Amino acid sequence: MRKYVVIYQSVLMENLQYTANIAMGFISYLILIFVFIHLWEYMYAAPGDLIAGYTKAQMIWYVMITEMIWFGARSSTIREQVSADIRGGNIAYLVNKPYRYPLYILAKYTGEWNIQLPMYAGLTAVIGITMVGEIPDFHWITLVAAVPCIVLGMTIHAVFKLCIGMLSFWIEDANPFQWLYDKLILVVGTIFPVEIFPAALQPVLKLTPIYTVCYGPAKLIVDFSAGKYLEILLAQMLYLAFGSVILFWIYEKGGRKLYVNGG
Amino acid sequence: MKVIEAEKLCKNFQVKHKEKGMRGSIKSIFHPLTEEICAVDRVSFGVEEGEILAFIGPNGAGKSTTIKMLTGILYPDSGHVEVLGIDPVRRRRQLAYQIGTVFGQKEQLWTHLTPYDNFRFFGAIYDLDNDASEARIAELTEIFALGEFINTPVRNLSLGQRIRCEIVASLIHRPKVLFLDEPTIGLDPVVKENIRILIKQMNKELHTTIFLTSHDIGDIEKLCKRIVIVNAGQIVLDDSMEHLKYHYLNKKIVEIKLQEEASLPPIEGITVLKKKGGNIKFEVDTAVIKINDVLRSIDAERIEDINISNISLENIIMEIYKTEGRENGL
Repeated sequence: MRKYVVIYQSVLMENLQYTANIAMGFISYLILIFVFIHLWEYMYAAPGDLIAGYTKAQMIWYVMITEMIWFGARSSTIREQVSADIRGGNIAYLVNKPYRYPLYILAKYTGEWNIQLPMYAGLTAVIGITMVGEIPDFHWITLVAAVPCIVLGMTIHAVFKLCIGMLSFWIEDANPFQWLYDKLILVVGTIFPVEIFPAALQPVLKLTPIYTVCYGPAKLIVDFSAGKYLEILLAQMLYLAFGSVILFWIYEKGGRKLYVNGG
Repeated sequence: MKVIEAEKLCKNFQVKHKEKGMRGSIKSIFHPLTEEICAVDRVSFGVEEGEILAFIGPNGAGKSTTIKMLTGILYPDSGHVEVLGIDPVRRRRQLAYQIGTVFGQKEQLWTHLTPYDNFRFFGAIYDLDNDASEARIAELTEIFALGEFINTPVRNLSLGQRIRCEIVASLIHRPKVLFLDEPTIGLDPVVKENIRILIKQMNKELHTTIFLTSHDIGDIEKLCKRIVIVNAGQIVLDDSMEHLKYHYLNKKIVEIKLQEEASLPPIEGITVLKKKGGNIKFEVDTAVIKINDVLRSIDAERIEDINISNISLENIIMEIYKTEGRENGL
């Protein structure tokens, strides 16, 4: 385990030099949030209205938190590096070290989002409080309770992205699949809470990573309940266990198909 | 004691083929064509503990594929391989603790970190505790003279400095076998020489077995006592350097400068390589004709200058590549 902590620390050290680059991503985030604040302002005719059980403030905070997760989880390591390593043969120079490649990538990714996400969280808090006001009935304890859910959500996201990236062992380009997954999370998962979709569709959405990656943590922060908390934690643990089994299965199978360009 | 044993090692690759143009691209969707390429074909050899072995061959000969099978990166299609008694296929991670690898064309160091941070990182990867890591870094820093730049980010180092750091990173866990794949590629002659001295020193002092592939004849000549040449996936020569040179020393290169333009009389055993005015360069096969007899056939009065040298190792190896390639129908 210590070696993965060291990988994580090394990435953290590396990325601390690039906080200005991360801050550049704030521009896209701000534009998106600005659009959604105005969209929901328009949708809620009166301040006391509820849409799918959410007040206006809860809805805007929900979108801001899911977008924060989305932007905080952005990583070229899980999006491009795995595919590039496999297709370019660089993986050959990584797998002959005494660590497991998927865990190596996960440790790197954790080092990345551990800097990005707090930066986006800080921005979200400032924008939210100044433009929307405090989250209704918010208690600091819910934020503490939501942290494990955020960590699990970010890890589940990475596990699924890694699974897709490792398809490169068999196919030329896994990027179209990455694109589909990203769009599923971004368009369906971050913009609207699950409750806003038709009742027939909601169980389906709960089976997608949307429920565990974005919806769960955001829902707990804006509308915490102990029952929901346990439900989401359980779903995340099951999802992570399932995803990890798939990931290592793909990795073991794919490793045998490894072809290294130029020898 | 043998630390590396390979027996009838084979590796084939499926390579895609596509006809040219758009039509070929569309056709390849419905009828993809693949060809099986034999990269390594029944390769067998062994390496003794403490040996420095040159494993060379032309591009595409199967050298790197063999190294990758020895280090557990690629799975052999058939055959048996053991490194330090460990099967690299089944116990790759266990083997990783015992071996080091340097691929001259690939960086393993993290470029934004300093060499020191990198070495600490590799120490942790190989489960060294902090004290053991520190002691090892200090030892290697002295041997490889890294003191001046150990705290400079790797991205700011010269290529020579970086390669030294790459080698140190591979040695941090005291590997018993070190695989060096073109470690001096792109380096200037002075740095190359320094790297060779360090490799030799490391072999002598730490008794590390070294498995070297390089296209640089200087690396091979100055470091290795044994040479294995592969061509088209097969071993075409496995011999000691001494024996190899002795075997080919019956050929001498003679360069003479004559007072005026002249030509050599046609003599068996002499092959003219180059002729310009009074300058003639020719190869003498001393198994056919003695050097003395060749010189006697030229009027000594007319000779302004003469140089007799052994055929270079580079030419010997090139000849082996060509001859063995032809003999094997390559």
